[in-house]
Amino acid sequence: MVRERLKGFFMEPKTLRQIRGAKDLAEETVDAAALAINEVQRAMTRLPYGLLSRITPISAPVRAVEQAHLKIADSVYFSIRVGNRLVGNVAGFVLDQLDAHVQRKGRS
Amino acid sequence: MANKKNNYASLLAWGDTAASFLNGCFGDYLSDRDNGLAIDMAFYRNNLPLKLTPVALKAACPSPTGKLCVLVHGLCCHEGVWGFPGDPSRTYGSALQRDLGYTPFLLRYNTGLPIAYNGQVLDTLLERLLAAYPVPVDDLVLIGHSMGGLVLRAACHYGARREAGWVSRVSRVFYLGTPHEGAALERMGHLVTRMLQAVPHPVAALVGDIANQRSQGIKDLRHGAVVDGVDFSDSVPWLASAKHYLIAGTVTDDPEHLASQLFGDGLVQPPQAGEHVKLFPGVAHMQLAHDEAVYVQIKQWCASA
Repeated sequence: MVRERLKGFFMEPKTLRQIRGAKDLAEETVDAAALAINEVQRAMTRLPYGLLSRITPISAPVRAVEQAHLKIADSVYFSIRVGNRLVGNVAGFVLDQLDAHVQRKGRS
Repeated sequence: MANKKNNYASLLAWGDTAASFLNGCFGDYLSDRDNGLAIDMAFYRNNLPLKLTPVALKAACPSPTGKLCVLVHGLCCHEGVWGFPGDPSRTYGSALQRDLGYTPFLLRYNTGLPIAYNGQVLDTLLERLLAAYPVPVDDLVLIGHSMGGLVLRAACHYGARREAGWVSRVSRVFYLGTPHEGAALERMGHLVTRMLQAVPHPVAALVGDIANQRSQGIKDLRHGAVVDGVDFSDSVPWLASAKHYLIAGTVTDDPEHLASQLFGDGLVQPPQAGEHVKLFPGVAHMQLAHDEAVYVQIKQWCASA
């Protein structure tokens, strides 16, 4: 079915290489940005919790809430990275198909 | 159908422009990651790299002359920067070919890589070009815009050091808006990055880290490029066997205007006045690569003894 749809399609190998490069760059940028922002958020989150935890009577619950907060934030960034990797893999698969098609067409 | 083809061609041209911009900003990263956007240095004709074989060069230059001119673009650009507004097929190269018989070669390269590295690669590329060129070359003119001028200086330095044959053919080198003494914008960028990284706040540090991701090519502009980690302007002599011409612009028609004094051509400060220095008031940095008055001056210098 994919081959049927690709009939008549042609693209310069150089252009295809550039598209793959842009895909890789976008994927790496999103991954690095998610990691970096996650780190910044962790550092920023610790500031108010650190102040509140100095108040002895509420120190223990504050620490518990802080841990829950960090876990939720981490899981959000983790899912962004997993989703990004997934989209990258699907895009990579589509580009592989196009690449194979262009090579077949180049040979024929 | 023709419309569809035009759209596809303009899309490809846009892609090349975007790729060149990304190479300028993060070219060393792209090259390290073997990313498909990373540009390999080559001479380009009709948006395609030219193979440096006698057959390919004969096909590309049906009537070769013994006089060559090589054009090297600046940061974040490709060879399209040489195209005159309204007639992109006209460049300093094509005009010199028509007027003085120079066969033009337009370089495209990854401007994010260190200037010294690009100079070394250009040195070997010029050697290969002259070896494969269909007729003997007796005159080689080099024209560099902005960072391209520094790449040319680096290529001449490395070529002269290993006594490459092409170096003795170089008669003239033109530097258009080249920051030989360093670029103020990158010095400012370096300062801001350092300040952001020094601020004890995670967001400021993150912004500083992002700014620090700029390519080594950009960072080299701070001191006007380096060769083997040494300051370029102090330690690398100009190629003694060639004449060197400096062309610069200013953002205002009056070079004494405060804006011109502060910002030069918008990115680079003009050099001090001298015999082979020409200032074009009102010609901004990018315009230096495709300006009629600049071309007339280049032609005049090329035609002089």
